[in-house]
Parts: sequence; C-alpha cells; structure tokens
Amino acid sequence: MIRNPASTPRRRVAVTGIGLVTPVGNDVATTWEALLEGRSGADTISLFDASGFSTRIAAEVKKFANVLVVDRRLLKFTNRSHRFALEAAEQAMRDAGIRPTPDDAHRWGCAVGAGMMTADFDDLHETHAYAAAAGELDVDLLLSDRPANDPLVFCRGQSAAGLALLTRRFGIHGYATSVHTACASGGQALGTALKAIRRGRVDRVLAGGFDSMISPVGIGGFCLLSALSPDNDTPQRASRPFDATRNGFLLGEGAGFVVLEEWESARARGARIYAELAGDGNSLSSYRITDSPPDGDGPIQAMRQALADAGAAAADIDYINAHGTSTGMNDRSESAAIRAVFGTETDRIAVSSTKSTMGHLIAAAGAVEGVVCALAIDRGAIPVNANLVERDPECNLNLVADVSRRGRLRMTLSNSFGFGGSNSCIVMRRPEAVDGRSGAGS
Amino acid sequence: MAAPSIVITGSGAVCAAGAQPDDILSMVLAGQSAIAPITQWDHSQWPTHVAGEIADFDPRAMVADRKLHKLVRRTDLVGLYAAGRAIERSGIVAQRDALPPGKAAVYSDRSGVIVGSGGGNFENQYDFFPLLTQARGELPAFGRELTDVVNPMWLLRTLPNNVLGHIGIKYGLKGTNACITSHSVGGLLAVIEAFEALRSGEADRVVAVGHETPIEPQMILYYYRLGLIAADTLRPFDAARDGSQFGEGAGALVLETEASAQSRGARVLGTVLGSGNATEGHGLLAIRDDGDGPARAMAQALDDAGIGPADVGMIVAHGNGTRTSDASEVAAIRTVFGGNPPPVTGFKWAFGHLIAAAGIVETVVSLAALKSRVVPGIATLRELDPEFAGLPVALGPQTPRSDIALVLCRGFAGTNAALLVRAP
Repeated sequence: MIRNPASTPRRRVAVTGIGLVTPVGNDVATTWEALLEGRSGADTISLFDASGFSTRIAAEVKKFANVLVVDRRLLKFTNRSHRFALEAAEQAMRDAGIRPTPDDAHRWGCAVGAGMMTADFDDLHETHAYAAAAGELDVDLLLSDRPANDPLVFCRGQSAAGLALLTRRFGIHGYATSVHTACASGGQALGTALKAIRRGRVDRVLAGGFDSMISPVGIGGFCLLSALSPDNDTPQRASRPFDATRNGFLLGEGAGFVVLEEWESARARGARIYAELAGDGNSLSSYRITDSPPDGDGPIQAMRQALADAGAAAADIDYINAHGTSTGMNDRSESAAIRAVFGTETDRIAVSSTKSTMGHLIAAAGAVEGVVCALAIDRGAIPVNANLVERDPECNLNLVADVSRRGRLRMTLSNSFGFGGSNSCIVMRRPEAVDGRSGAGS
Repeated sequence: MAAPSIVITGSGAVCAAGAQPDDILSMVLAGQSAIAPITQWDHSQWPTHVAGEIADFDPRAMVADRKLHKLVRRTDLVGLYAAGRAIERSGIVAQRDALPPGKAAVYSDRSGVIVGSGGGNFENQYDFFPLLTQARGELPAFGRELTDVVNPMWLLRTLPNNVLGHIGIKYGLKGTNACITSHSVGGLLAVIEAFEALRSGEADRVVAVGHETPIEPQMILYYYRLGLIAADTLRPFDAARDGSQFGEGAGALVLETEASAQSRGARVLGTVLGSGNATEGHGLLAIRDDGDGPARAMAQALDDAGIGPADVGMIVAHGNGTRTSDASEVAAIRTVFGGNPPPVTGFKWAFGHLIAAAGIVETVVSLAALKSRVVPGIATLRELDPEFAGLPVALGPQTPRSDIALVLCRGFAGTNAALLVRAP
C-alpha cells in the first residue's frame, strides 16, 4: 500500500530566491562583484587576539549588523553564525517574494547545514575562570557558574538552534532538518531540500548553511591539525587552490540560503527563476577521516550521480565550482576525480574555487557555492580562481585564472567534500533548458 | 514500476537497559527501570542525581579496535557498537565480500549510511581548560602553547559526523549518506531518510543509526534549571509527572529493498510502511498545547502508508514525562485516533531520554515487542492524569491490536517525526 513516488512524473525544483553573507560581502551583489574580481576577504584576525597562533589570518564577515532582521527579540537566542543565517535567509525570502502563510506553512520545509555545536568562547572562558581555574572542572562550582546556569547560553549552543530560529522567524511548519557533515553540510542541505520537494513532502523549502569557527577554539582546532595556511604576512594570497605553492586552507565564515520551489508552482506565480536545482549526488569516500583518496574515489561517484540525477552528460556542464580548499591533498584528489568523470570534456569545462577569495566557510561552504553556481547561470559569468600563479601540473584543469569569464552557461556543478568522507555534488540548469522560457519573472 | 517494499534486516541497540534488543525488551517487560544514580561525577551536592547510564561502560566492549578509541568520543563508541551489531546481523557485508571485485564495488556504492547524532556536548570544549589555565586566560599564550597542551586530534574527535565516517571506513559502505543533528528527532529521522532513499532508488540498502551520550554535568544542569528533569522518577502520562531523565545509548537498523533482502534470503525483522514529519515553528523549546505537530506527523505517516488509524496495533509515544509534552501528545493522539486509539506505551521511563538515539532505539524495541505480540507496560505509572482519561496506557502488558506499531518522536525546534513499522 506504499504510495509510489516512481509512478508520477518527477517534480522539478526552481531556485527563486538567494541570500548571502560572506567575507567578501554582506549581500549577493557585493559578494558577486568581489568573486568576479577575485577580491580577497582575508586579513589578520580581528575577532580575537590571535597573535600567538600559528595561523593569525582568516576571512571574516565585516561590518555586519543584521540590517534585515525585523524581529530583534530573536537576536538574544543567536550566536554569530545564527545571525548570518537569519540575514541570508531574510535576503533569500525577500528575493523570492514569497513567505509561508498560515494556509500553506505545513507545505514549507527548512533544511540547513549547521556548524558544530559549541558554547561561545567567552562563555567557555568564563566557566573556566569560575569553575575550572585549576584546569579541571569542579562540578560543584558549576552549580553557581554564570554561563552554566544561563538558559540563553544553552539555547545558543544547541545543534538545532539555527533551525529553531529560522522556522520560527518565517513560520515554517513542514519538514525541517539540520544536517552536519563538516565541509559537505551546506551542499547536503540543498540536496536534502531537493529530495523533500521531489518526494512531495513539501512544495517550498528554505535551504542553506551557516557557520562561524573564527574563534580561539575553532582556529585552534584547525591549527592542531596543521590544516590552515600559515601565510600570516600575505593573508590575501594565503588561499590559492590548485597553485603549486598552496599550503593549507583559509578559514572563512558566513551563510548562504536559497528558496527552492516546485517548478510549476514557481512558474504559475510568475517567480523569477535563477536556475533549476537539477541534480544531487551524495557519496561516502570511506577512505580516511581527513585524507582525500588520491585517485578521487568517492567524489567521482558523487559527481556521476549528480549528473545522472540531473539527466545530464559531461558535455552539458560549462562550469564547476570546485571544493578547491587549497590543500595539496584535496586539490589533487579533486582534479583526478574531475578528470575521471569528465574525460576529454575536462579541458573545455571552466573550473574555479571561490574559496580563493572567500576562504572556507565549512558548514556554509556548500550552500554559498551552490548560490554561486545558480548566479553563474543567471548572470552569465564565471568567478575567478584567485591567486593562481604557479599551476600544479597534477591539477590539470581549465582553471579560471586572473580574470572572470563571460558566457551563456547551460549547466553548472558544485562540489563539497567533508571531513568524515561525505561528498556532496549539486547541479544547476539554465531555466530555458527546462521549459524554453527565460528565468525572468512576470 | 511499483515502489519497492522496504524491509528491516538487522537491528542493534545499547542503553542502560541492555546491549541487545531482546535484553532491553526483557528489562522493560519486567517493569525494571535502569535509571540509577549517576556514576560519572560526584553529585552529592547537586540537586539532581539519576540518569540512564550504561553500567560499567567499557570502551573495548563497544569497539574492539583500540586505535579507534583515540579518534572518537563516548557517543561515537555507542553508535559504532549499535551499528556494528545491526550490520553483522543483517549479513550485508558478508554478502558483499563474497562478490567478485567489480560487483562488490557496485554493492558498496549502493549501500548508504544515515546517522542521527547529538551534534556535540559542552564538555568537548573542556579539553581546552588545562590550556586556559596554563595561559592564565591570556589569548596570545593560549595560541602559543596550544600544540603543547591539547590533543592534536581534538577537532577530529569532536566531529558530529564521526559515526558516519567510521562506519563507512570499517564496513566499506560508500553510498548515500547524511548526519542529522536535529536534536531528539535525529535518530528517527535517520530511519525515515533511509526509508525515503530506498523508496526513491538512491540506494539498495541503508544503515540507519542514532547515538547520543548526553549525561554530562553542564547539559543536565541546563535541563534541570529549565524544569525539564524529574525529581526522582520519570512517569509518563501520570498525574504527578514532573519531568524527564537523561539516558545514553544508540540504536541502529539495516533497511533494504525487499529485492536486496531476498537476494541472500535475509531474515526480515519488519517492514517500514510510512513516515511523517511536521514542525511547529515556535522556537527552540516551545511546543503547542493542541498537539498540532505530532498530530500532523502521525496523520502524514498513516496517509503515506495508505492505512487508517484502526489498522495501528500500538502507539509507542514519545512520553518524555514533562507536563506539556505528554499533554500535547495525548491531544495529538485524540486528534488522529479519536475515541478509539490502540494501546499506548513508551519506553523512556525504563532507560531515560536518549535524545538523538531515542526514536531509533524505541523503534528497535518496538520491533522486538511486535515480534512477541506484546505492548509493554509503563511500570512507573501510578495514577493516570485525569485529563488523559480513556488513554489506553497500562502499568502492565497489553495486547497489540495488530502487527503495526506507530513510533512518535519529538525534539527541540518543535520538530516531530512518526514512523509506521509492521512485524513480519
């Protein structure tokens, strides 16, 4: 008696709203301009005194003031990454020009890629000073410790906090989920949303990712793994994916959100459509927790699945937004994977990693880069892979060095690979290729 | 093309009540609560004292590979344990390993892993306390002395998706995957996502896991201050109920298409019939009094399965023992089932609220109960809340109305999930 999803024509999904808060801009227009110019968002860390760390640089979101969030009562329940999420989601909702109503709230979903659950460093610091001054927690002192008894510290630290804020802010009452697969989180959130609409669970989804790890514990965690570029004197050059001299990634922060709608209903209301979210590929490398398989096994399956899911061939893809972290291991593994999937088409397909300018937004990365792939189709332009000077011969790709490119893009693909081995790949398609009509709204 | 039937071929669970599904069911049927004084810290000066700890916790009993112990935390160990039992009982890895290399590779790519994880604890960050002490709270010294004091694997040990990654590596599963960190519904959502992935052809078999070890001082203190912890006993639906209690544990299920299970003559533990999700959207902790979210989740699951309320044999309620959650849940049951609901029970009284592991462990126990054709009682129930008059809950065992169980699960952010399973 199980309803048969395979018996009805598959629902298509439109991207009708986008929002970005990134280290290179607090909105879509500013971010997009910086990505085309290859203008870096990196600098010496200002959020805390990082002078003693081996890496003292990051790509911070700048002059951020939550300009759009009307419901300021929510802000006390937020940490920095939640504020980015509320802002980017608000941008996406306004851009889409539609909101849940009491009548259709249960047909709206929310799927987010959220960062790791933590208490803010200031709270940790305070708890240490009061209840763990000798280095170990005194559980009896915890009973009168300020942060450990402040329900707001608890609420902000919960892994479902961002989901709670977003569903409340926008009145979303349908399918809601928060996922975390490290650097693949944002891409997986978009893929999850796509599937929820296809399965008929919901008609519209607010989907995205948000993260901020630029804190003593976050930077410290990555420094301990020697994962970050130590180029403290040249922060804007530190992230140089696919360059032979790359030496680690640049930590960024921010949020990216999209409003996804069932295609026909989006057309019926005359919505402006950036692109079709056409395919999702999702695999597990099962190799090592942090290492990338040198032959690209894992990412290969994710890309192939995404193409098949979108009904696309290698020849249909015009741009790949690479995971491109600027670590030797990722960039070589990813290059091998792209070549294995795209064969001779590899020489034709433009590739860039926008982490070269924005840095690595961790749980937000896949969502922000998904937005970049939709924008590339909509604006007919390809962002630059900044800082590419000396090409690594083992990364033999058609990299967009020096200047951005212009052109009519048919399909674009975004890669996101996470610690733990999760690989997420999503494919966007030009609206005309779906139903012969442009994406302009009416 | 008919939608494939989705069956369950392996299960595993560990919590305070036992380390095997049948053992946990036996404890529940015997009316024995495994909630006991906490042993992990000295709480003699504390206002709250009990939880469902796994007694004599032995990391090596959870995961034999000692090298792995340095790379993961307690929550991951229990998750890996439950997943390992479910995978071994299902026979999927043995089947794959008997295939020639090319076919084995396809088998691995068509085998997914979906995990519901707690997302982290407060005490993960306590690993930085010795460094803060050594640095006298000064950040430059904190940065300089970082690598001398803190375990270089700190970040890796803290990843919320560790169980996902390590199951993949250990068993060579490489297909569709997710790690869901949506608080209490995470584990049941993992089962639901696995079910959906199989129905839509994204995989042939998926291991679903839920794991969490929330018994840490700072976490319990917050729940206590929020008034969510029972003074001594978790009494779902009781007139005198006064809160919930934590437990730790993990559950796992192997779900497959019927064709995949039949290809090796696998023993079938149950069939997944349908699922539902609904969110109330009123904030992190708020829940509606009228049971809107759980009612919609249950109604959706029935609709998805194409069955009616009268077909359900038993309801395994969330039953966390807080005043508002239980009351709204009863309202939801009345909305969906009217005046004639099937026997209702819940398991949290016996081993605590396992948070991200709750829904999946409760599904594992429900399958064992369906097999025994019994609805276990709620042994801590003394006096049914008069507001819930007519709710078919009992101190002792009841008989299920059919071979179908409805498992309901609720979590922070007003999230609700419902799953329908049928015994073979």
